[in-house]
Amino acid sequence: MTQRSSNTVRNLEELLHRMTNRIRQSLELPEILEATVDEMRRFLKTDRVKIYQFHTDGSGEVVAEAIYRQHLPSLLAQRFPAEDIPEQARELFLKLGQRSIVNVSTQEIGLSPLLSADFKAALLKEKSTRLSFRKVDPCHVEYLTAMGVQSSLVVPILHRHRLWGLLVAHHSVPKRFGNRELEIVQLIADQVTVAISHANLLQLTRLQGQHEAIINQTVSYLHSTIEDPLQRALDHIISALRCSGGRLYTTASSDQKLDSPTPQNSAQIGSNQIVKDRWVLAGRQPVRAKIAAAKASVSSALVDRDIENLELETPESKTLKLETLASKTAELTHCQLEPQKTNTIAIEEIEHLSEWEMWLQNDLSNQIVANLWAISDTNAAHIPSPIAEAFARADIRSVLIAKLVHQNQFLGYLSLFRQSIDVETVWAGRLDASDPRQRRPRQSFEAWHEIRHNQALAWEPREIGLMQDLIDRFSSTIYQNQLYQKVQALNAALEQRVSQRTAELQETNRHLTQEIVERERALAALQEARDSLTRLSHQNELILKSAGEGIYGIDPKGNVVFSNPAAAKILGHPNSALVGKFVHDLLKHAKPEGDRYQWQQSPIFNTIKHGQTHHVTGDLFERQDGTQFPVEYVSTSIRENGQIIGAVVIFQDITERQAMESMKDEFIAVVSHELRTPLTSIRAALGLLAQKQIEIPAAKQQRMIEIASSNTNRLVRLVSDILDVERIKLGKVVLNKQTCNLSTIMAQAADEMRAMADNRSIHLLVSPLSVQLYVDPDKIIQTIANLLSNAIRFSPAHSSVKISAQKVCKGDVSALSQSLSKKGKAAIASGSEISDYILLIKVEDEGRGIPKDKLEAVFEQFEQLNNSHKGHQGGTGLGLAICRSIVRQHQGEIWAQSEMGIGSTFFFTLPIASDTTSS
Amino acid sequence: MSAKRILIVDDDADIREATQLCLEITGQWEVLMAENGIEGLAIAQFEKPSAILLDMMLPGMDGMTVLKKLRENSETEKIPIVILTAKAQTNEKKVFDQLRVAAVITKPYDPMTISDQIASALSTSDLV
Repeated sequence: MTQRSSNTVRNLEELLHRMTNRIRQSLELPEILEATVDEMRRFLKTDRVKIYQFHTDGSGEVVAEAIYRQHLPSLLAQRFPAEDIPEQARELFLKLGQRSIVNVSTQEIGLSPLLSADFKAALLKEKSTRLSFRKVDPCHVEYLTAMGVQSSLVVPILHRHRLWGLLVAHHSVPKRFGNRELEIVQLIADQVTVAISHANLLQLTRLQGQHEAIINQTVSYLHSTIEDPLQRALDHIISALRCSGGRLYTTASSDQKLDSPTPQNSAQIGSNQIVKDRWVLAGRQPVRAKIAAAKASVSSALVDRDIENLELETPESKTLKLETLASKTAELTHCQLEPQKTNTIAIEEIEHLSEWEMWLQNDLSNQIVANLWAISDTNAAHIPSPIAEAFARADIRSVLIAKLVHQNQFLGYLSLFRQSIDVETVWAGRLDASDPRQRRPRQSFEAWHEIRHNQALAWEPREIGLMQDLIDRFSSTIYQNQLYQKVQALNAALEQRVSQRTAELQETNRHLTQEIVERERALAALQEARDSLTRLSHQNELILKSAGEGIYGIDPKGNVVFSNPAAAKILGHPNSALVGKFVHDLLKHAKPEGDRYQWQQSPIFNTIKHGQTHHVTGDLFERQDGTQFPVEYVSTSIRENGQIIGAVVIFQDITERQAMESMKDEFIAVVSHELRTPLTSIRAALGLLAQKQIEIPAAKQQRMIEIASSNTNRLVRLVSDILDVERIKLGKVVLNKQTCNLSTIMAQAADEMRAMADNRSIHLLVSPLSVQLYVDPDKIIQTIANLLSNAIRFSPAHSSVKISAQKVCKGDVSALSQSLSKKGKAAIASGSEISDYILLIKVEDEGRGIPKDKLEAVFEQFEQLNNSHKGHQGGTGLGLAICRSIVRQHQGEIWAQSEMGIGSTFFFTLPIASDTTSS
Repeated sequence: MSAKRILIVDDDADIREATQLCLEITGQWEVLMAENGIEGLAIAQFEKPSAILLDMMLPGMDGMTVLKKLRENSETEKIPIVILTAKAQTNEKKVFDQLRVAAVITKPYDPMTISDQIASALSTSDLV
């Protein structure tokens, strides 16, 4: 006994040691319990050891079990109704720590209360031993028998003053359990209690960890930059809290619920429009009645899942549903973008129902804390009908609603939904509900699976706690988001305004730049215009100044406003003396005949008055000294914008031109006369001769023939001289210059005239000078012959005509004979520039002379004729004109000196070639 | 007035000679001649011809002066004057018309008609 006893003790110690070790080895309660039942069964050597755990409702479940060789059926994981271990029995277990040993065969139960400190006194009052046996309840016996149990040992497992469970040993055959076994099992139970404490602590820690993990994950979703963080956070919560769906409603009208909602500026008002009512949906959503028919009961967030489910259905209905789904998806997508506009059909805006707010405010029974309502079973709660129906249509059974408020600002609602669920319970044997003797133990403990449909899954306190924690996160995030959105909106508005103002400024700047550029351009153009104006006016001035014509301008009253120097010069006034004077007084404008115009009748007045341009030739203007001169003028009006503001008159003195013209007229008259004179004789003579019926004496006939003949010769000479003069004048005679000797030329000319001189008994005396000349010899011979011819013609008979020549030094004119006139000296001095010497040729006669005033005129055409007193001298009157032309063509000069009654001398000069010297 | 006498005043000897012959043969005129104005005035006053054939371009005293002087002299003022001129331009003719001359004959004249021209001019002037 001692040995056995010590053996037992050793075994017991080993058992406890092992147990303690295994408990320590694991923190997982199931493992510990497994080990416990295993060790205890071995120790007690019973057919079954199990640990039965009580649920809060009093029912229980076998959570660990050890069975020896299937001597008894397994009851693991089976549930036992609360009635199986009645409340009074449970109370005894708890209050007294009662242990019981039942022997079915002896129908005896031994009870031993565990004396706890609290109940010691109470227990002492009762008459009790350590292990007292009494008759067991037949019902209990029946129950155990049905289980196939003959002996049982039950020790309660107490944890924190609560009956956690029972440690139970069953044996299929009667077996005695003594105090000793009881004590040991009690010890084991105590160990299990410790383990439970540990495991609970672990579980608590784990839950705490999970709780925190969920919060962390949610928070990280909320603050992440991923697309739609609220949706992700909502999805996460829903899965974490085992929900079927949920929704987050955030309001746009939050500002209106601020404590001090006074908008500070217009931008803040604008931000209200930015933050709109918004719904984030997940899972199945409540459906309201009036559109329930039009909508399937599945929300878009579950579309994918629904489609999977559809696989099981008939093709026809599937197609139908797909269409419905597609249209619904479109609807929902649409309404998520613009929920305000489509609020009557799209989203079930239950939060907008008036009943919603009212319901929550009044539902205090389900209000866990302020702003949080947990309705575990909608069927059991008082919910306003539209909302209740909406839940029912979506099969929503449990609702967890949080009102989101942050810093006194209402933000919205976060609602979580759970659908009804089917609960499966594995019962230890089936109770016949219809059996009136409900209290009778069941006949079989065969496992019976009970499935209960449409059960509400209640919100657990820890889930509610989690929700509480999450609400704050959501609220602050939404608040921040809205704040952020407002700030963003403000920023955007600000940026927009800034960019708008910047654009305006840039536009203004551009305009300014452009204006500056244009102004600069305009300035440059103006400067250019001024320059060109200056240049032009300078040019105009130059033109006016250099114009040979007189130009003056007058205003409408006829006062001179400008005049050019030529005008002043022609009119004999000092420069610019004309300006400001009345032009008609100044010019004394007169008609060609000399009659003065009335101002109002003058062509210039007409120009000012009627703008007509007048081109007048021959009118007379008056100089300052009172002399008149003929003018040609053009008067033109000056107009500005169609208005005549004055006139400009351009005029020139045509005295010389008129003289030239009258000379020309005279020349024509003279030529006509000179030609007609011989023709008159010829025509008369020949006309008479031609008449056969007229008898003319023979002598007269001869005279007529002679007259005709000599006048014909005269006419021929005349014509050829006229042609010569005209050709020389027009420069059409080209000199055929060659080197020749003057003596030869003089001799030839004298030879030509000798016959004429002999005819008139004139002595022709030639004093030749041998000088090399570069001249046209024929022309010089013609010149000398002409001079000789004139001299002979106008000399009386028996007088002498002399021709001589001499070289004269230009610088030594005074050394010449005193008879040389002033004009001759000047002619010599201004002679050829080729050489210092010049050749002077002279022809002298002893005729009656030429009057001093005619000395120059004789060189003009036909001049001799008027000088003739004694009929014509056989000259044409063109000879001297021809001579002057020829001499001047040779850069020489010709002039005449004469003394009346003594004679005339004709001089002409010729240049001497520099390399030629006299021989 | 048994014989018609006409005075030719012209500085060109050939014209005087040819005209003399012409007037003698075709007009049976007795012809007097002067080669310049002074000579012409003297002959006119002394001989008192029936008519004077006066050249305008005369050396020394020109035809216009001679005409004026003839008109100034009461003895010669009535003698019809026929101007014989080589200046036969329109504007000159106008001047001659104002001089109340019997006729203006342009050189070179037609020798066959000159007598008739003079006769006709004289008869007209007689009527006047």
